[in-house]
Amino acid sequence: MIASLRKYYWIALMAARTNLAYVGEVAARSVFLAILLYIYLRLWTITYAQSNATRLGDLSLEQMLWYLVATQSIYMSTPKVAQNLDQDVRTGTLAVQLVRPLSFPLYYLWNALGERSVRFGITFLVGSIVALILVGPAPLTVPGYLLLLAALPFAFCLDFLGYFLVGLGAFWLEDTSGVLLIYQKSVMLAGGLLIPMELFPDSIKPIVQALPFSSIVYGPAHLFVHPDLAELGNLLLKQGVAICGFTVCVWFVWTLAVKRVHAMGG
Amino acid sequence: MNAIELHKLRKTYTVKQGSGFGRKTAEVVAVDDISFEIPEGQSVAFIGPNGAGKSTTIKMLTGILHPTSGEASVLGLVPWQDRSKLAYQIGAVFGQRSQLWYHLPPSDTFELLARVYNIGKNDYRKRRDMLIERFGLAEFLNTAVRKLSLGQRMRAEIAASLLHNPKVLFLDEPTIGLDVVACQELRDLVSEWNRQEGLTVLLTSHDAGDIEAVAKRVLVINYGRVVLDDRVVTVRRRYMGSKILGVKFHEIPREIRIPGVTVLKASSYAMKLEVNTEVASIDRVIHKVIQAGPVADITIEDPPLEEIIAHIYSRVNEPDYEEEVIGLS
Repeated sequence: MIASLRKYYWIALMAARTNLAYVGEVAARSVFLAILLYIYLRLWTITYAQSNATRLGDLSLEQMLWYLVATQSIYMSTPKVAQNLDQDVRTGTLAVQLVRPLSFPLYYLWNALGERSVRFGITFLVGSIVALILVGPAPLTVPGYLLLLAALPFAFCLDFLGYFLVGLGAFWLEDTSGVLLIYQKSVMLAGGLLIPMELFPDSIKPIVQALPFSSIVYGPAHLFVHPDLAELGNLLLKQGVAICGFTVCVWFVWTLAVKRVHAMGG
Repeated sequence: MNAIELHKLRKTYTVKQGSGFGRKTAEVVAVDDISFEIPEGQSVAFIGPNGAGKSTTIKMLTGILHPTSGEASVLGLVPWQDRSKLAYQIGAVFGQRSQLWYHLPPSDTFELLARVYNIGKNDYRKRRDMLIERFGLAEFLNTAVRKLSLGQRMRAEIAASLLHNPKVLFLDEPTIGLDVVACQELRDLVSEWNRQEGLTVLLTSHDAGDIEAVAKRVLVINYGRVVLDDRVVTVRRRYMGSKILGVKFHEIPREIRIPGVTVLKASSYAMKLEVNTEVASIDRVIHKVIQAGPVADITIEDPPLEEIIAHIYSRVNEPDYEEEVIGLS
């Protein structure tokens, strides 16, 4: 068991180190994040002014910008799980991993976690610097950071399972990019990337909150600016249930898919 | 004891043909009831034209693919049922797919593989140091893989696949894209490992040089069936039935006309002849050559294996070709 955990931990470590080779790319994304955060600040400043409110959805303007730093960092750090898996299936690269004493889905999971930890770290750091300059450190609290760190691993695992399921579609579909686009936009819109759940219309709020996407983006980001232990408990429960459900789906689809592995390369 | 055994192994795929409502499914036979055995420590070349079923067979033997029917065992294990257990005892190199981490040095991949295969710290260090020395990896061990030449990368690939001391090594076109020197280095290393460590090697390649240098036995597969199974030297002898004779003279020789002998190349004082040994015996040809003029030097060579393979492929593609599977004696 320990030996098994150790091999996956090393895979995550290798993936993290590999991603340090892409610091330039992550930095370039971060410049984009800086511009995005400035635009959001302008938009929300006008929204707060127009509605004569100091708080919207129980968040101040400062908290709103820090909320967006967290949501954008989560969203922008997503590794290309579905695209890579799609390629591995089509080119037969999958074979290289299947001849090793490893679980292929677990290999992919730990690889994605290693990659995402580096990407999230860099993006969040740059986003924090920009937010500090734009609105100052007002809503930052130690519990906020701790609760974010507690919720993030499960959010990343859940997100991975979603993307992995999309990638497995390559065993049946000619092109998975359409399904991928739907999944990405679902995370973006129903996950609360741009607007916290509290500001959603009452008619759709219960539906969106029941979907797993809010546990990936909104949940951890809201805990960061609005730390609450009871909310953490609820979030972990939702994440746990969603992870169990997605894991069963991945296991079922993978069992079917592995029988469809074709020999590539004559 | 046999390292690999196959008995009537078959793999079929269902493919969709046509488009729209007229779309139909058809069954394609990739591997057609093949049977063969490979004893422990033997090196075998598994060759055939593109689409012959080589990779499909190798992927079934490594547990990646499930067969449609038939039986196979590798080191006493059924590959597709005991994939994880078997993975500790086999190594595989897919020439066109790297197992090394592209942005990290080979040393990092070695460290990871030590954990993946649960190799103890001391065993790992000993094994790694031996591979570094034997494969000459020291000079680029800490250089990112993306900065290595293809030859260096393939040396590191094969060393990585031997790190856990496998008993069987599957090499799927390991020399593809390599230059002549890198090819030769790699062949020598695999061949040496086969001889000294008793490693069983199953090699697929389109390069006759690989087959000659690494394998003692050759299995030719086409349309999913084994069409030839014999020793490399026997194939060379049996399949062309010809020799290449190179002759240098002290003086300009008289014209040579012998049935079954073709002049491949000729200059004033030298000529290269291809002798069909089924029509003309070598001693008779040499006798005639000596009569043609004073000989300064004479060499007798086998024809290149490329020609033999091309000849086998062309024969097995003929519709009236009678299947000829020659068992090893």
